[in-house]
Amino acid sequence: MRSEICIGAIALTLVLPNCTMVTDGIEVDVAYRAPATPQAVRTDMGYHVKLDRALIAVGRVELLECDNFARRLWGLFVPGRARAHEESTPTSLGVPMIIDLMESSGTPLFAGTLRPPPGRYCGIRVVSAPADADAIGSTPERTEMLKNSVLLEGVVEDSETGGEVPLRALIAELIRWDLQFDEPLVFDSPRSVSISLQIDHLGWFDGIDFAQFAVLDEGAAMQQRLTENIRSSLVAERL
Amino acid sequence: MGDPTLTIVGFEQPKAQRVRTSATARHRNDRIGEENVDRLQLSEQRLELAGAYSPTDRWTLSLMMPVVHRYVSAVNLAQADIWAPGDLEFRARAVVYRDRKFAPQHLVGLIGGLEFPTSSVERDAEGIPLPLEFQAGTGSWDPIVGASYTMFSDPWSVYLSSVGLFPTRGTANTKAGISFRQTALGQLQPWKFLAFQVGVELRIDQPGYIAGVRDPNTGGHITYGTLGIVALPHDKILLHITAAVPLIQRLDGAHEEGVGITGGLIYEI
Repeated sequence: MRSEICIGAIALTLVLPNCTMVTDGIEVDVAYRAPATPQAVRTDMGYHVKLDRALIAVGRVELLECDNFARRLWGLFVPGRARAHEESTPTSLGVPMIIDLMESSGTPLFAGTLRPPPGRYCGIRVVSAPADADAIGSTPERTEMLKNSVLLEGVVEDSETGGEVPLRALIAELIRWDLQFDEPLVFDSPRSVSISLQIDHLGWFDGIDFAQFAVLDEGAAMQQRLTENIRSSLVAERL
Repeated sequence: MGDPTLTIVGFEQPKAQRVRTSATARHRNDRIGEENVDRLQLSEQRLELAGAYSPTDRWTLSLMMPVVHRYVSAVNLAQADIWAPGDLEFRARAVVYRDRKFAPQHLVGLIGGLEFPTSSVERDAEGIPLPLEFQAGTGSWDPIVGASYTMFSDPWSVYLSSVGLFPTRGTANTKAGISFRQTALGQLQPWKFLAFQVGVELRIDQPGYIAGVRDPNTGGHITYGTLGIVALPHDKILLHITAAVPLIQRLDGAHEEGVGITGGLIYEI
């Protein structure tokens, strides 16, 4: 009798069905989107750029809260904490990835989901930086991306002379975009939104006179202009 | 009953063929992570059904099965409400020293046991196991080793126990750290039917790891002060309630534990 009671009680708990109810909270899906790369990109200065390789490494995406005076004031008194390496938080994605723009076809490339606390978010910060060896899209053929944020390879065709000049641009510096939304994202209850980060790499070569840059300073100024073009080529769009 | 001391399951002195069953309800709160950044608020209620059997005057074998309710809320207003069986626990306690056979005043015991991975694994919509905070148990085989000392000096009694929990790899590729738990409890029993307890519970945890990466909000130590009452409303029924208040929190990362309440009923068969 005694043992039956004990065994019965234990068996009762073992056969209890489990029940889980999960309610999603505030979620922001982030995806990159780039147009398909044509055979030759025509620049505003009449050059045709035929790309063989076009890679960009993105390292961090972070939602930016609308200016909050109290928080800014608090930040003056509370020292910031150094982070040894990128890490994901509810308002940021720290997963590095290498995007091959030659493979882009206008379809979104999912970067991840942010799960921010309630609040008003006015923009999004995207950082392009050299990738880690374990970044998404990292392959032995892309080792240059461990030291560079952007890699472009191809040829530039002069439409007047018909001559071709090889193009190879490597940008090692960190590129940061602080993109404002058209309207703030206001979250006060659970809901899901999607943000598309549009990379328009077809305009990266605008304003570059390849013939002039090649003669003058062996591409340093071209690289600077290219970096500026890249900085202005990203747009955040709420879907 | 030769010994008039009111003892809850696990603290009693073994008596051949003694069988006790118990139902214990526990409530606790945890806050893990930084406020407005990645904080998880956890509220847990457990119902532990247990049975203890002493085949001889020196051995007590016990089994405990919890049913766990967990309510977890995240900073992004996501919520999870989980009801699930927890991890079954088996313990054996052997008295290795007693000063005398009849009505001993001093008992020294050794404790050995094992937590079985009987809890269900909670998964997300893609079938990936949820983090440990959302699980009713660790899902690992966890050996338990310890020692205890009990002193009976009517109307006083003292109970000391030191227990180490050695978790293995469990749910979601998580490995909890080794946990050392020290309990020191004093009891005053002015009447046959009522006793008051005051004590200290200390826990020291090694950090836990998820897929080989240290979970920053695990590890450290916490000390609780406890106050309790044990009552004997019937010869075979014992009631107890205890409140545990964190006195010293030195938990690593951003991790706070709240007040714990334990109440239960013991039935002597």
